[in-house]
Amino acid sequence: MSTHSGCTCQTAAPISPEIMTKVDAIINRHKDQAGALMPVLQEVQEAVGYLPPAVQERIATALNIQGSEVFGVMSFYSMYTWKPKGKYVIRLCESPPCHVANAENMLHAVQQELGIGEGETTADGLFTLELTACLGVCEVAPAMQINEVVIGNLTAAKIKQTLADYRAGKVPDYKQLPYSTKDFRKYQQSPADLILLDNVGVIDPTKLEDYLAKGGYATLKKVITTMTPEAVVEEVKTSGLRGRGGAGFPTGLKWSFTRPLPTPKYVICNADEGEPGTIKDRYLMEGDPHKVLEGMAIAGFAVGASKGFIYVRGEYYLSKLRLNQAIEQARAKGYLGEKLSGTDFSFDIEVRSGFGCYICGEETALIESIEGKRGYPRMKPPFPGVAGLWHQPTIVNNVESLASVPAILEKGGTWYKALGTPDTTGTKIYQIIGHVKTPQIVEVPAGLTLRELIDTYGGGLRPGSKFKMCQTGGASAGLVTAAALDTPIDYGSMSKVGGALGSGTMLVMDESVCAVDFIRSVAQFFRHESCGQCTPCREGTPRLLETMTRICQGRGKMEDLDFMERLAGVLTDASFCPLGQTAAQPMMSALKNFRREFEEHIQEKKCRAGVCKLG
Amino acid sequence: MPKLIIDQRSIEVPAGTKVIAAAEKLGIMIPRFCYHPGLGSFGACRMCAVKFLEGPVKGIEMSCMEDARDGMVVSTTDPEAMEFRQYVIEWLMMHHPLDCPVCDEGGHCLLQDETVSGGHGRRRYLGHKRTYHDQYLGVFVQHEMNRCIHCWRCRNFYQGFAGYRDYGAMQIGNRMYFGRYEDGPLESPFAGNIIDLCPTGVLTDKPCRFVGRRWDFERAPSLCLHCSLGCNTTGSARYRQMWRQEGRFNEMVNGYFICDRGRYGFAYESHPERPRRARVAGLEVAWAEAIQTAAEKLSQIAATAGPAAVACLGSARSSLETQATLQRFCRALGWSEPRYFSVPSQERQVKAAIARLEAPLAVSLREIETADFVLVVGADPVNEAPMLALALRQAWLKGGAVAVLDPRPVFLPFEFEHLPLAPGDLEAALEALTAGAGGTDLLAGGSPWPLLPKIAALGRRLTQTQRPVIVCGTGIVRESTPGLAADLVLRLREAGLNAGLFYLLPGANAFGAGLLSPAGEGLTPLMEDLETGAVKALMVVENDPFWDYPDRGRLVRALDKLELLVALDYLPSPTVQRADIVFPTLTLFERNHSSFVNQEGRLQLAPPVHLGGMPMAQISPEKHPPRTFLSHIPGGEPRTPGEILAELAAAMPAPVTLPGDDLWDWLSRKNPVFANIVSLFESPPGARLIPEAVPAGTFSPAAAPAAAERPPDYLELLLVDLIFGTEELASYSKHIQPAEEPPRLRMHPADAAKLRLSSGDRVALRLLGGTLEVDLQVAENMAPGVLVLPRHRQLNWRLAPDYRVMVAYGDIVKVEA
Repeated sequence: MSTHSGCTCQTAAPISPEIMTKVDAIINRHKDQAGALMPVLQEVQEAVGYLPPAVQERIATALNIQGSEVFGVMSFYSMYTWKPKGKYVIRLCESPPCHVANAENMLHAVQQELGIGEGETTADGLFTLELTACLGVCEVAPAMQINEVVIGNLTAAKIKQTLADYRAGKVPDYKQLPYSTKDFRKYQQSPADLILLDNVGVIDPTKLEDYLAKGGYATLKKVITTMTPEAVVEEVKTSGLRGRGGAGFPTGLKWSFTRPLPTPKYVICNADEGEPGTIKDRYLMEGDPHKVLEGMAIAGFAVGASKGFIYVRGEYYLSKLRLNQAIEQARAKGYLGEKLSGTDFSFDIEVRSGFGCYICGEETALIESIEGKRGYPRMKPPFPGVAGLWHQPTIVNNVESLASVPAILEKGGTWYKALGTPDTTGTKIYQIIGHVKTPQIVEVPAGLTLRELIDTYGGGLRPGSKFKMCQTGGASAGLVTAAALDTPIDYGSMSKVGGALGSGTMLVMDESVCAVDFIRSVAQFFRHESCGQCTPCREGTPRLLETMTRICQGRGKMEDLDFMERLAGVLTDASFCPLGQTAAQPMMSALKNFRREFEEHIQEKKCRAGVCKLG
Repeated sequence: MPKLIIDQRSIEVPAGTKVIAAAEKLGIMIPRFCYHPGLGSFGACRMCAVKFLEGPVKGIEMSCMEDARDGMVVSTTDPEAMEFRQYVIEWLMMHHPLDCPVCDEGGHCLLQDETVSGGHGRRRYLGHKRTYHDQYLGVFVQHEMNRCIHCWRCRNFYQGFAGYRDYGAMQIGNRMYFGRYEDGPLESPFAGNIIDLCPTGVLTDKPCRFVGRRWDFERAPSLCLHCSLGCNTTGSARYRQMWRQEGRFNEMVNGYFICDRGRYGFAYESHPERPRRARVAGLEVAWAEAIQTAAEKLSQIAATAGPAAVACLGSARSSLETQATLQRFCRALGWSEPRYFSVPSQERQVKAAIARLEAPLAVSLREIETADFVLVVGADPVNEAPMLALALRQAWLKGGAVAVLDPRPVFLPFEFEHLPLAPGDLEAALEALTAGAGGTDLLAGGSPWPLLPKIAALGRRLTQTQRPVIVCGTGIVRESTPGLAADLVLRLREAGLNAGLFYLLPGANAFGAGLLSPAGEGLTPLMEDLETGAVKALMVVENDPFWDYPDRGRLVRALDKLELLVALDYLPSPTVQRADIVFPTLTLFERNHSSFVNQEGRLQLAPPVHLGGMPMAQISPEKHPPRTFLSHIPGGEPRTPGEILAELAAAMPAPVTLPGDDLWDWLSRKNPVFANIVSLFESPPGARLIPEAVPAGTFSPAAAPAAAERPPDYLELLLVDLIFGTEELASYSKHIQPAEEPPRLRMHPADAAKLRLSSGDRVALRLLGGTLEVDLQVAENMAPGVLVLPRHRQLNWRLAPDYRVMVAYGDIVKVEA
């Protein structure tokens, strides 16, 4: 096993004065910004390619912090690097959705093509190959990202062609791409009225006029000129909107806690869409960024905040670009900024970027990250609504939740409530991915069954295959079998069958998938993303992976199953934050539904799906 | 107050108490790693799980995260909770090396204890263990990262509690690393606490490495003598030598922690040149012979030249027992009263402070942590009384504000307002604050004008607080400053605020010395009496004028006039070296119980850690216990000054008996504050020796001239303390010496510009006694018009004629390389 150190593994290459000038310019631009460290590190890495010790020290001195803090933050986020890399960094996704789509073979294909292993750089300095825990592009799995550009639906041939193009200098510019993955217009739309995705694929997201033509920002104006903040909170409460990030906490209720507290207050839009299988927020940010901004401004008015932050996951380059463009346009036209529509209400938004860290999707870890620290979850209470960003009252809402807000205020909470089910009101964006004919997102009122989703919007299972299981709600949720196909998908019903609505993702898997191998892949994801703060998650997730790996290699023992069950129980009870608390859920669910497969692996050294190489 | 039941026993605790702390009050030690009462809850290790059977919380929860609430029924021994904890300890042990036999923590390792108590005895994990590189963290702390169980205590103390940032957490997940950015000494002078806090052997005591197991040491509660705060320690000795000190909890003084000077300053105790035998005229003689010689010579001089010709000099570092016995001895022999300070201005400052400290005003160090505003006047906490800096930080963390009025470049590990006033303006600022609005006209001592409105703003803020504390130093201020600080506190109390007063004093027992010093202006300064020849014999008890007297030349000339110099001390000081007769004394660690009064008047008792004698390492190269047996302790001749004085009194031609057992009665007859002492054995926080109300007419020094004029083209030289290198006892410690930073002269950029000097220049400072060479550091955060020079042991600062001198521009010249 490799030996870890604070910093001693770093290479101390000399840095040219030109580069230092660049670094200084970046630092000066951000110096007075609160939580400047993350933006500075990100921009410097983009400019220099990596963050060598001399640069780290320069940043530490200029921001008046310690080197250990700079490296402490850098080494927490997986996208920072302190070693020089190739011109093109290939990050191949090994998340569970990509794993079931044959990502491992893709890795072999890339390795063969480049003749390098994971973490290595080609001799010509062109390519560095890395594995990443999740790229958030599951509808085009298996996928990789070369610098900012996503290349999906990989095949060996496509990899060969892409790498040849890059070698030949045919490199796409992500800024010119309409979408980072697939054109939304090609998706089959639901018959219901779209509330969230109505503009996506219809308007030009780079043009404010397009959004205005669709009635954009009218609701914001109506709200701030004719309504009281209390009335806005009440309307959202009436709508029954529940947080779309996965936990399902009533949004209006959350706002009502923060509303009466003293200023300054903050609105944070959680766009750290890190849950494997979850891709919906990206479509909203890329396709209709103004809607997100409008929702945030209304939320700011409702709770009395004048500043908002959008925390976008690091891999979503195009989302960040579109949001920043939209913010500038909105500022220019007075939809953001001082004294909106002549009222006393001011609101501005800043985009902050994550940098490859799943835990930062947890609201308090996200707040720490915006503050420029290592993204550790905080102790709750106090909840962010009371003491959040810089210990001020802060509401943290998911992109989809905030994007639902303009429609609720436009047409009324009662109207919204009438859509969907009493448990889960309104419409919800689902993601049908995995082994279906047309992996895609779709916005429908909550309450559809899984079968309807698969057959109507996923186009049914891919030809010649048979439904085996579905992981609903994200990597931390349980597996459901064919028995659950006719259960309506809302928060309450799904949890009854051992699944979850979560972020609304449905990873459909056919019989080519080995349940044991799949769980190993999930375990690997959590091992990789555990932040290390609390003991159970830090030590338990590697333990789970180690045991699962042994079983997959035919070296398992029957006691392992018992052991894992008990381990899972303690992990669930003992972990500090939801990451560890849910990390063993999929395994528990697999042991319940597919125990026989585990036993076959252990006792008969047999893998039904033929995935595991046993013995 | 919530009432709850833990393991069938009921307890009522103050609201906000965590369940883990409530259980501790019942004597139930719930296993824990990240939780520490001094650091609070963190919730990371998950070791303190208990089962909540009834009440507002149900099921397995962390006892450090739950506030005790009414109706809770908690079981710490529930099988479910036990199994849970068994898993946690197994996880923690997964990567922990089984190197206990070579680990210094072995034997007092919390991880060992809780592995055993948790019932984890069989390793199920068969994978590789993670490994790390260790770092060099300086001379105090040894790093052994492979043993880390990621409990976070070190980082939570280092960054959270103490506010230093060069050590922290790096990497993520189970690769997490606790260390520095790169090898190098830890920057915090409180770093040693992470050794005490580390629940296993990641951070161990470097000077004490491989010396012994916990049970090999003689251990006893002790006190720190390296500043006036009186922090509590636990001393460990082995083979007649002190090896280690740890912080010891005192709820009123230092809490759980101590500074590194206090932790490692003890090695003067085993200084190789420490006097161990009685000496006459430089030759070691039999003890009785030395007593006889001293008694004869002293009485002879007293007989021929009169009793006033014999003077005694005690010290501010001796125990109260020593100080009091010296006074009693002088009185019994009819000699003049002993002095306790070789520098008269120090005596007047200390007396001025003590005279104003009355019970309702005085706050303890821990009470500062609850202040909402602290005004620090003429003090540099980190360097003069380090733990004060941490107490101030705790106040700041709780939302309080801190403002410092001091000309020096003061650093504190948190945000504070620093008004670098000229020394001459400190008093005026206090008067202005006492006078209220409009009082800033009083400032004329040379501070930059922009500071003046800030004083007014400070005054306004002060009146808006509820629990302000005024901290007043005695290092660089005028003699009347402590009185003005007390006036301000009284003024604030009149205005209805619960204001407190906190002085810093020069010496661990300066308070005791001040209490025993003669009232009023006191005796003629000792130096004058020596120079006039009025004093012909001097007995110095645990004092070294060579250490703190500013004018070395004058001191030497004065001492040369003496007919007899007798020294009683445990330090191999210059005074001891030139004394005609030397009696070696015991340190506070050896054989005797001694008590010390800290700067807030708290009398605390230090029992002996070991019996004394020559360290084994100094007589046996193998550091091995003797193979032959003796009836006495080798090198065990040193005695307490009290014993020596009693022997001397008894050996006089007209013998006098000094009873050894009624010292406290004698003291309380002399001063009613001593009547407060009941039994220090029954009072862990100590007893306060301050009156409820100050009697009228107590000492107050003559008011200083309105504003000390600084002639143009002169800079005022301030002789100041540093955390390492300027304190007498710690400077004799071989552990502290390598941690000293090279001393530097500091100067404001405006003055440096006028003198065409810059940072790094070697500067020659022409003083009355000669020329001193030192490196210059230009510091923006200090007052212009002053030179700040540490009284560092490596610097011959005693060329200055006084603590307060003006240095002409022309006398500050750059030394060309």
